[in-house]
This record gives sequence, C-alpha cells and structure tokens, in this order.
Amino acid sequence: MTTTWVLDEDDALELLAYLITAARTQCDEAAEYGPMRLLTAAHRLADRIASRSSDETRELVIGPLQRMPPLAVPRGDDRDGYVARLDDVCRAVAEHLTARYASDSTST
Amino acid sequence: MTNPVLAAIRSRRVVRAMTTEPVARSTIEEILDAGRWASTAGNRHLQRFVATDHPGTLRALRMVSPGMIQRPTAAITICVDRDSAVDYGFVPTYPGLFIDVGTAAATLMLAAHSLGVGAGPVSSFSRAAVGAVLGLPAGWSPELIVCLGHPAADQLAPMNARPSLRWQDLTMWVPAVSGEGG
Repeated sequence: MTTTWVLDEDDALELLAYLITAARTQCDEAAEYGPMRLLTAAHRLADRIASRSSDETRELVIGPLQRMPPLAVPRGDDRDGYVARLDDVCRAVAEHLTARYASDSTST
Repeated sequence: MTNPVLAAIRSRRVVRAMTTEPVARSTIEEILDAGRWASTAGNRHLQRFVATDHPGTLRALRMVSPGMIQRPTAAITICVDRDSAVDYGFVPTYPGLFIDVGTAAATLMLAAHSLGVGAGPVSSFSRAAVGAVLGLPAGWSPELIVCLGHPAADQLAPMNARPSLRWQDLTMWVPAVSGEGG
C-alpha cells in the first residue's frame, strides 16, 4: 500500500498547539467540553487532510465526521443522541480502517 | 419609537464565523475607545486592552486558543494589570477584577455590533501561551479575547442549544410577586 504526506508543517503545528493548549484549558473547564475539543481537533485535521488523502479517507472525513458537529456533550435528554451519533462516527472510522488495513482478513 | 440602544442589545449575537475581509484600523480604534467607557470597580481601570490585526499574530493566537472557533481579522485581548491591582490593595482573586473584564467585553462587543462588525468572546485559551504570543508585560494576565471580524453569511450553531429565556426566568422579585420570577 502506498501512502502520502497529507499534512504540512504549518498544518501539523496548528494541530499540535491546539492539542497542547486544549489539555491545559481542560484542566479548568467542564468535563463535557472534552469531547468537543477532541472533535474540533478531528475536524481541523479532517479539513487539512481531505484534499490530499485517498478517495476512501476523503469520503470518511467529509462524510460521517462532518455529520458530527464539534459540540459539547449535552446535559439531559440529548446526551444519548449525542453518544449515539458519536458511536456512528466511530463505526465509520472502524469500517474505513478495516477496509484499508484488514480487507484480506477472513471472519471465523 | 424604537430605542436604538435596546435594539442593539437585542440584536447582537456572538459571531462564530467571519469573512477574511479586514476590519479597518479606525474601526478597531473606535471599539477600543468605547471600551474605556466601560464601568470599573472604583473607577480604577485595571484592565488593559491588547489589540492586533496582524495576520501572523492572529494565526498564532488562534493556535493556542482552543475556544477560538472563528478566524478573526482582529482581536482585542482584555488583560488584568495584576501589579496595579495589588498596588490598590486588591487580593489577586478579588472578583471585581474579573467582573470588570466582563463589563469591558460586553461594551466592546456592543460597540462592534453598532459599527457593523461581528464579535465573539473567547475564554478558553492557554494564558501562558497567549501571554507569550502577545508579548505581554509582566503582571498583565490575559483573561478574555474579543474576536472581531465581518460576520459570514453562514453562522455555526451555538455550542449548547438552549431554549429561549425570558427575563422572568432569570429574575427573582423581592418581595415575591405572585406569578413573576422564580
């Protein structure tokens, strides 16, 4: 399998700075912000890599991920829906990874 | 007759998506001038405004500010001059210092709105990193960034959708008024 560079130094630095400073701000902020920060990082990474990725990876980052907006975990009744949508994105990621790395595996 | 001040208060929104069109320096200065009219505890003016419209500085500022969703073309960082506060006899955790930051931010955002400029406050950032990016003097603590820019046509949804609140939902009358307030 061939792979290509999909981030340049500026893109990577932006993400690095975001992750480090989000770790610090999360020390003081509400726990429900945590998933939002990680989703924001995922969206920023997706925005950067989409144009340089394989068709399959691009489909993932402009499809299922985009349907999960970077919002905080809702309090109350909406929480289950939020978790369910996040689970859907996780499944889509897993399916992409399986297709990319383990398409030759056989189920037993 | 419409009260223009109340109309401005009611129509202002946090702007989370901004265009790349720069905000004129003269407009930023007008917003800063409005900021100095914000009320402060004891009229002491212990807040400092750090303004930038430099693209590279704004880029670095956004990189160390996880709460900065928008891409502003200008920003005003409201700082507390902690050394001056101590000189006045305030303890570092005195709430009035931070209340004044909020009052200043509200004034700046309303001024921006009145000039047709969008504004959005950001409090989620690394204070250490923002201090370094802006080269803040020792003792100046960055507390809030007011992002400025021209509003984009499509705005992002609020972080947490909440039902509309009436003033009655937020108010308690004393003595209690039957049917009003909480």
